[in-house]
Amino acid sequence: MCFNSFFFLFFFMLINFFFFVYFIMNGLSVFFEWEIISFNSMSIVMSILLDWMSLLFMMFVSLISSVVIFYSKSYMNSELNLNRLIILVLMFVFSMVLLIISPNLISILLGWDGLGLISYCLVIYYQNLKSYNAGMLTALSNRIGDVMILMVICWIMNYGSWNYIFYFDFMKNDYVMFIISFMIIIAAMTKSAQIPFSSWLPAAMAAPTPVSALVHSSTLVTAGVYLLIRFNYLLIDMFFFKVLLFLSILTMFMSGISANYEFDLKKIIALSTLSQLGLMMSILSLGFPDIAFFHLLTHAMFKALLFMCAGVIIHMMNDIQDIRYMGGLSLYIPLTSLCLNISNLSLCGIPFLSGFYSKDLILEMVSFNSFNLMVFILFYLSTGLTVFYTFRLIMYVMISDFNLMMIYNLYDEDYIMLNSMFVLLFMSLLSGSFLSWFIFFYPYMIYLPFNLKLMVIYVSILGSILGFMVSNMGIYSLNKLLLSYNLSSFLCLMWFMPNLSTYGLSYIYLNFSQILFKNIDMGWSEIYSGKGIFNILKNYSVFYNIYQMNNFKIYLFSFILWFMILFIFFFI
Amino acid sequence: MAQIPLGVKTHAQKVCSLYKRALRNLEAYYDRRHVYRYQAVLLRERFDKHAKETNMIKANELLKEGEEELFLKQHPIPKYFATSPGGVAHERVVTPPDWVLDYWHPLEKAQYPEYFKKREQRKKEFVAMWEKEYGKPDEKDKHH
Repeated sequence: MCFNSFFFLFFFMLINFFFFVYFIMNGLSVFFEWEIISFNSMSIVMSILLDWMSLLFMMFVSLISSVVIFYSKSYMNSELNLNRLIILVLMFVFSMVLLIISPNLISILLGWDGLGLISYCLVIYYQNLKSYNAGMLTALSNRIGDVMILMVICWIMNYGSWNYIFYFDFMKNDYVMFIISFMIIIAAMTKSAQIPFSSWLPAAMAAPTPVSALVHSSTLVTAGVYLLIRFNYLLIDMFFFKVLLFLSILTMFMSGISANYEFDLKKIIALSTLSQLGLMMSILSLGFPDIAFFHLLTHAMFKALLFMCAGVIIHMMNDIQDIRYMGGLSLYIPLTSLCLNISNLSLCGIPFLSGFYSKDLILEMVSFNSFNLMVFILFYLSTGLTVFYTFRLIMYVMISDFNLMMIYNLYDEDYIMLNSMFVLLFMSLLSGSFLSWFIFFYPYMIYLPFNLKLMVIYVSILGSILGFMVSNMGIYSLNKLLLSYNLSSFLCLMWFMPNLSTYGLSYIYLNFSQILFKNIDMGWSEIYSGKGIFNILKNYSVFYNIYQMNNFKIYLFSFILWFMILFIFFFI
Repeated sequence: MAQIPLGVKTHAQKVCSLYKRALRNLEAYYDRRHVYRYQAVLLRERFDKHAKETNMIKANELLKEGEEELFLKQHPIPKYFATSPGGVAHERVVTPPDWVLDYWHPLEKAQYPEYFKKREQRKKEFVAMWEKEYGKPDEKDKHH
């Protein structure tokens, strides 16, 4: 099953690659349409749009999913239900492809809902309490987006068909289009975990690591970004897009800070994904969908690789994910640490790795456009924070003292996992330059002052120094987390956002239902029905018991009574 | 039901429990072993200072203060072992034991007649094999 699926997806990737090259060389885009039914001036059609963008994205999705399936052969080796995982992953890829190629809102909904449902099934793949909670949070957060898409489908019925791409130019200033684009943005925000909905992404790390590598880093979460890229013509003048800019920059900043306080290896990587999603969303809302797509692709490569390295480490450490138990691992797992470091540096945007080409372009565009100081500062702070948590992670996991147990035997000899990682290693080294030379060769004329151009380098150096300093712990050093406890726990727990979307929402209802439970279930209804009837019957039977138990007394009493009556009757 | 105390803890047990939880909390803050050892010694010193306290009212107050301090300084991300309760891999893979199948309802069993027929046969063979190797069990070993 594993090998067949890998083979299938790999060839699907190759086909996509050839078609992509053919399409982009000839400037083609193909639109298929089958009419299913047409009534009442409304046509229901199944349509497929193939252009270089959808083919390229499909190629990346199928490449990552094929190596992830190859990787799970070894990672999930002891799993009894491996086939279930493979089938779920294949269904996931199918939904993703459906979402990518459809210019039609109904088939987008099918893909979108499929993604939500299958990601729920994948999060609860391990059946413990943590996974169940995480799965419920994931499913319900994504459900908001599904509902938004459903409402968009209802609204777009006004135009007579669901092929939204036909209405971009003509209906742009329509009021209905305004509502539609607002809802689309909310839907994309839930899928891409932007700020009010961010808590599900770190929680979804309860899924198995290969799933995190495919679903929660590179494909599912970028579905929202992809949808907004497709809808971009419509949204660009909207006011709410500016709000999205604000929210996405805050997401980027918040997750950058939280990643610095986090100790769970997978959650750190998830938070860095969140930060990169914020980056994509923000450059999208600045009006550069192509650069957002570029970053989406390069990010997918190195983030999937990062998760796979984390998987190797977790496997080796007997399921331990807490980086406080790790340290000095680069001595034992040189090849994995090579992959981890390259993907991490690519994430930081170190020159000539894949992340550099997209991230540097984004930052240059931000500097080049005249936005306010807050946008500017938050962008550069978040870039610095990325380097900050990356260096902290490398210091904790790879460099400092070993922290787990007295006797250990760690090694790096699982070649199935390593092979699949090397494919992605190759891609995260080269995909940035490949894409920027062949596809995104827009003649952007960027003209910046010297210091502004070097701003990225400055914040990176500052971030790396800080990352080194926080992970260095002297024997007499005071714990900074303890000194600023309240602030730290606020930043540590993602600005209390998980509490907001779990306890915060359920508290009111649970509290109210407890009051109802106490007053009605255990209170009045108990008095008047169950317990009350019982009490009445009990009291009566106690009362009658007096007569039953006191036969002799009653006999005497009635004798005396009759005697008195007779006495009165005869003598008075 | 969870609130019902199932046993009375002595004061010493309460103090020991507090000490252990405080150490685990320190472990979460100070992740290098030698730094943790230094902090643990400092913590031990704080506990030892009042070890010989004979005034129970004061000792109780100290315990209460200690619990309060631990609660206020609880690490936001406590350090759990992966397979312990609260850890990431706790009860991740639970394989139901084989005897669960014996407790299926007869109607449920009737849905897989061949399997259960074979299973009964296997059980008999297993008992026969066991008795052949180790002999029949004594009557006095049979409790029920």
